[in-house]
Amino acid sequence: MLEVENLTKIYDGGTVAVKDLSFTVKDGEFLVIIGLSGSGKSTLLRCINRLIEPTEGRIIWDGVDITQLSGEELRKVRRHIGMIFQQFNLVKRSSVLTNVLSGRLGYVNPWRSAIGRFPKEDVEQALGCLDRVGILDQAYKRADELSGGQQQRVGIARALMQEPTLILADEPVASLDPATSHSILRYIEDLNRDEGVTVLCSLHFLSLARAYASRIIALKDGEMVFEGLPAEIDDARFKEIYGEEAIQVEIR
Amino acid sequence: MSAQEERQEKPAKEPRGLLSSWRFIGVLFVGILVYAYAWQSTEIDLRRLVVDAPDIVHIVTQIVQPDVLTRDKEYQEVLTNFQLPCTDSPPEQMAASESEPYLVLSHTCGAPGEPLSVEGFNLRPNTRGTVRWIPPEGTTRSLAHFDSDGEGHFVEGISIPSVVESEELHQIQTELRWEVGLPYPSETARVVFDKMLETIMLALMATTLGVFVAVPLSFLAARNLMSVSRGTMVIYFVIRGIFNIVRSIEPLIWAVVFAVWVGIGPFAGVLALGMHSIAALGKLYSEQVESIDTGPIEAVTATGANVLQTIIYAVVPQIVPPYLAFTIYRWDINVRMSTIIGMVGGGGVGFLLIQWVNLLRYKQAGVAVWAITVVVWVMDFVSGVVREKIV
Ligand SMILES: Nc1ncnc2c1ncn2[C@@H]1O[C@H](COP(=O)(O)OP(=O)(O)OP(=O)(O)O)[C@@H](O)[C@H]1O
Ligand SMILES: [Mg+2]
Repeated sequence: MLEVENLTKIYDGGTVAVKDLSFTVKDGEFLVIIGLSGSGKSTLLRCINRLIEPTEGRIIWDGVDITQLSGEELRKVRRHIGMIFQQFNLVKRSSVLTNVLSGRLGYVNPWRSAIGRFPKEDVEQALGCLDRVGILDQAYKRADELSGGQQQRVGIARALMQEPTLILADEPVASLDPATSHSILRYIEDLNRDEGVTVLCSLHFLSLARAYASRIIALKDGEMVFEGLPAEIDDARFKEIYGEEAIQVEIR
Repeated sequence: MSAQEERQEKPAKEPRGLLSSWRFIGVLFVGILVYAYAWQSTEIDLRRLVVDAPDIVHIVTQIVQPDVLTRDKEYQEVLTNFQLPCTDSPPEQMAASESEPYLVLSHTCGAPGEPLSVEGFNLRPNTRGTVRWIPPEGTTRSLAHFDSDGEGHFVEGISIPSVVESEELHQIQTELRWEVGLPYPSETARVVFDKMLETIMLALMATTLGVFVAVPLSFLAARNLMSVSRGTMVIYFVIRGIFNIVRSIEPLIWAVVFAVWVGIGPFAGVLALGMHSIAALGKLYSEQVESIDTGPIEAVTATGANVLQTIIYAVVPQIVPPYLAFTIYRWDINVRMSTIIGMVGGGGVGFLLIQWVNLLRYKQAGVAVWAITVVVWVMDFVSGVVREKIV
């Protein structure tokens, strides 16, 4: 269980990106975070694994307060939290396989990994992960030779290598076309359904959120303006979240 | 009210066309003046390009026939006696022979200025030779060149040179020279090879010096890393400033400075090019650090990697290939520059080239020119291929 308590993030410039947020995510949930650009979705997700330091509040995961951890302990927690990014964040000049293997860095001997060596099981596991997302044949290509959709699959494979119990996905399909978006989200959905991985995923489009979320929270200017089931978002709610002028766009 | 004023002012600016055409004529006039002055002060004289062309043709023909290969030479020498001035007993002609080479003179004594015909028999056929006069005292003189015919025979008319008269006999010599065996690198080629190697090593050392100093400095000259505090920003500006100043001073000037400091030779060249390389590489490297994509760093950190692992997996792949590419490119540039550096005392093949040019030994200079051309071309090609592979 993930509990976010009174989370606030104020950036150096004074921007309040997340304001006094509190919610809980039960194990095995597929929680989608929606909201306009700048509403604080990325900030929230990055506070959970402390890529960004929260200004105030607590994040408690399975009874451990992540905000109190440091050094080794923080890394031990991070290795169970997979992260998927809008821009894929692959190391472009490295091979696909190396990118996937880097998901294992929290587990392996740091000195051996420093000279580029991974245990044989890890390499096999990496190839297995690539097979699972359907791009085993691309394993030895440079990451930037792949299409956007393929790169995001590498991103998923990298997260899979962590054997995660929680996945944070920050607009994982915002740079992809609708058909590819669905195929990527389906991989995440499979993980959630078959392996019980808890998912926190931010999405731009309400239609995508409706299709995959078990629960939705909506942010506006860093504050929660909705929390509930996908079906509960009617036209009035929609206008509340996205503003009066917004119209719904369908992504099929 | 104010909007109306504006609207009325606009048509007033209409005659701009005329104004700008006056301005155009003014600019044109100034331009013509500047170019006229430039033409004068650079002493452009197109006539000389044509009139003095033969001078350069002479040099160019020597440069395009460089003294690269040579062959061993053999020669055949025949001597006969001559008396100057005549006495009662002039020397005898050489004895005729069936197979041995011998010379026959039209007469065996005479006075300076008189014509004399030299005939040779049984010499090496179809070979170039020289007729020389060897006085008992003083220096030998070449009088004529000839080619022996298919039977090894020749006849050549000469004029008796004005040499010091003496009682001792003078000698007339014919010498035929020809080349044997396979061609091999000439002495010049070997010297050029040595010095070319020195030049390449000079460039290597200069580049290495540049890399070792520029790599650490490049991080201090990267804005994204140094914008954490005011103190680090000061370091950033200072190092950037030094890079810019050092880079703007030509390596040629550094070479003069270091030649005075550590003496003429390749070490001065290493320091001069090294200095320039530090600044040039430092700037390129730091720009590379500035353009690092933070996404992968974020992603690798999120997997639970420690700082060392994050640097190795997310930072190194982003900067090392471009660093290597810049370095190889720099080495390429340094090889090219070190030939020029050599001319002002930086050692290497450039020094050799300028010496030969000053001695008007264009055949040798040609070897150096060709060696530089070939090496620069090869370096250019190799560095291009390697860079393409890396980046
Ligand atoms: N590093 C930063 N420094 C200062 N302000 C920031 C920083 N990152 C984000 N912000 C600000 O915080 C607010 C929330 O940004 P955030 O990136 O979390 O929004 P988002 O919902 O993810 O937007 P998007 O949909 O565009 O990704 C914005 O006003 C943004 O300008
Ligand atoms: Mg975002």
